[in-house]
Amino acid sequence: MKMRKVKIRKSISRIILYLLVTFIVIWTLAPFTWLFLSGLFPHKELLSDRATNWFPENPTFKNFQVMFDIKSHIGQRFMYAFRNSLIISGSVTIICLIFGTLAAYALARLAFPFKNNIVMSLISIRMIPTVALVIPFFVIIRTFDYFFININSSFHFYDTKINLIILYVTFILGFVIWIMRGFFLTIPHELEEAARIDGCTRIQALTKIILPLSAPGLVATGIFTFLLAWDEFVLALVFTKTTNSITVPVFITSLGSQYIHAFDQIAASGFIASLPPIVLALLFQKFLIKGLTAGSTKG
Amino acid sequence: MNIKRQEISSKQLAWVLLSPSILIILCVVIGPLVFALYLSFFKAEPIIGGISTKFIGISNYIYYFFKDPLFWSSVRITAYFTIVSLILELILGIGFALVLNKSFIGRGLVRSIILLPWALPTVVNARMWEWIYAGSSFGALNGLMKVLHIFPVDYDKVWLGFDVPLQNVPIIGQIMEWLGASTALNMIILADTWKVTPLVTLLVLAALQTIPEDYYEAAGIDGANAWKQFWSITFPLLRPVLLVVLVLRTMELFRVFDIIYILMQYSIRVVGVYTFETGMKFLHFGRGSALSFLVGLFILGIALIYVKLLYSEETY
Repeated sequence: MKMRKVKIRKSISRIILYLLVTFIVIWTLAPFTWLFLSGLFPHKELLSDRATNWFPENPTFKNFQVMFDIKSHIGQRFMYAFRNSLIISGSVTIICLIFGTLAAYALARLAFPFKNNIVMSLISIRMIPTVALVIPFFVIIRTFDYFFININSSFHFYDTKINLIILYVTFILGFVIWIMRGFFLTIPHELEEAARIDGCTRIQALTKIILPLSAPGLVATGIFTFLLAWDEFVLALVFTKTTNSITVPVFITSLGSQYIHAFDQIAASGFIASLPPIVLALLFQKFLIKGLTAGSTKG
Repeated sequence: MNIKRQEISSKQLAWVLLSPSILIILCVVIGPLVFALYLSFFKAEPIIGGISTKFIGISNYIYYFFKDPLFWSSVRITAYFTIVSLILELILGIGFALVLNKSFIGRGLVRSIILLPWALPTVVNARMWEWIYAGSSFGALNGLMKVLHIFPVDYDKVWLGFDVPLQNVPIIGQIMEWLGASTALNMIILADTWKVTPLVTLLVLAALQTIPEDYYEAAGIDGANAWKQFWSITFPLLRPVLLVVLVLRTMELFRVFDIIYILMQYSIRVVGVYTFETGMKFLHFGRGSALSFLVGLFILGIALIYVKLLYSEETY
């Protein structure tokens, strides 16, 4: 009798568990699925009554195709924005990884004065919001650009990719140093000492022992950096104007207006724009979760 | 002799490795921040060929603290946004983590799926919810409400509207109005929470997995029920990670800009939006810099608490 009661209780708690899991899955997937579905609606059907029309009657991939069509105005802008975002995020990732890894190694392994102060100020600096830096940035860059005009140089910062790369590197670099330092701290000292006794220099120990061992950390940090740069909005909003430098977030924000509904285009371009980060996150999820926990809970 | 030479080279090597990073950060973060402080003592506006500046001392700060009602209202709205978001994120994040920590079929898959909102770009997230919240019959949330029979067929709610929630409840309604809460703000909080919950879930989940099973078995034998087990075992052991999440999220919520600007432009003035509006819309660079500096200072303060927390946990 008692056994049966326990069994019933157990199966009830299983059912509740599965209901909760279903809720989590729907909660997570429903909005994004709706984004994809909206991209399939032809423009005419988009504004139909939702209570009855959840699926397009004549589903079409035209909204997605037009984004890759270099001959249409919107497709051209999107392809340029996509290319700019790839170039900017890629360069930022490479630059941050090189400088960040070197600095992180020094902070994790070498003994020198003011070390703790430097670590503390790095982590504090990376917290300063870009929205608080955008005004001084704007004034400085405006001053620089007027200076270039005065000396008749064609070089300028505003609306260039280089400008965004420089600005992005600075607000992401502190973060990279912090996470990589965490990874380096988890690698046992003894390995490096053994290599040094065998006659390696410090740099050799770094390239032959430490870097291969922290490859997962490098991958995770690289992806974080890429995602942060891909995601950035405020600086791109202020410092870009033309297809020369607009990024995907700025492009997506510029679609539609008070008077024009462009949610078919927004849905399609938004879906395409979220594919690179989502694919990266899913492919490297093991590294990412390690990086998340290493970077934000333990030093 | 040998040892001494090593020590010197280690110190030198450290500076060689660090100098590029420190140089970059000094030039492009500390520099502008100091420049913002400098600029905040001026009345600075753009003119043809550059920027006109006029020294006015601390007038900009006096303006914000004593003369500008918008500044204090933006602080209140930001505080409301931060606190309500934090509560929601923590409850949902811990709840999801507790569920995902149980063993069930397809656990690995669900743990991957949960990464999706986190990876979604902020701008895409904002426009996606803008479309879901569309205040006519074609809005997905209105449609869902009708399908679930919560709304009558001919009723459409304007989700991104400015009506104050709980306005008719005597004291609470007045507090809500004073805080600057609105339906739109609440819906934005929901959208932002949807995106950030996975991060909290993953961090809590990682901490949960380090708690040994025997603790619960022992508690079960002693007759403690699930509720009691949570408060006497799980919660105390989660405390360090929750503290970190709390401080980290406070910082990021307080500086919110993207989602509010994209959905509401300048009509919900959180501190970030107000700074941007002053500096980049009205082009009051001096006044905007003062605001930037105040925001930066406040966040640096929280950041220091965060660093102290991390250091107190760290074991060498």
